Amino acid sequence: MTPSGEGRVFCPVCSVRFPPPKGVGDGEEVMCPVCGQKLLIRASADGWTGDRVGKYSDQEILDRIDAFARIRGYVFNEMKAEIIEGLIDKRRKFGDFYCPCRLRHDGEHQCPCRPTRGGDVERDGRCHCGLFWMKT
Amino acid sequence: MVKHMTDNIKVYALSTCPYCRRTKQFLKDNGIDCDIVDVDLLEGKEQDDLLDEIERITGKQSFPVVLIGSEVIVGHNEEKLRKALGL
Repeated sequence: MTPSGEGRVFCPVCSVRFPPPKGVGDGEEVMCPVCGQKLLIRASADGWTGDRVGKYSDQEILDRIDAFARIRGYVFNEMKAEIIEGLIDKRRKFGDFYCPCRLRHDGEHQCPCRPTRGGDVERDGRCHCGLFWMKT
Repeated sequence: MVKHMTDNIKVYALSTCPYCRRTKQFLKDNGIDCDIVDVDLLEGKEQDDLLDEIERITGKQSFPVVLIGSEVIVGHNEEKLRKALGL
């Protein structure tokens, strides 16, 4: 089954819709080109749906932040392990991988949060939590 | 006289924040007696009121916030903590 029309995959992490890579089909994994989330795509009459691979697992957030840093060319520093611990603690206490250094628990603050996706690192040299850094 | 013995020291933190964790650990390691509040673990009006208070004091919602007498330290900063505590 293939979706009708110009199918785009919806990313449930960063809420963007993107065209699946050519040749990729139902039941295969793709990566969101904006936030780096791995998605298992399914064809439906309404288009592609993307399910988070390994949803809520520690591996999910490890893969996502590494992929996001690769996409943007960002680097980490010695705080990485402690910040990841905070992200995992957020998921345990508040339901998902929200910024560990903010009080907000909503879709905009899923790591990588909207301000970070919007260019905070380019502007400030780092994201709010100090996870992603500009390469010097 | 050790300054920190007489000060009323408060820490406003998030339970998930690694910088807050470092500040808490620093104070503990130095034997500082303080009142720590994890703001994210509060609920409803109690949390709202405290956030208003933090914003009034610091002008933003950023953590950790350490209040040592009239001194306000935002973010984990061991140098400022040492100075304010007379360590």
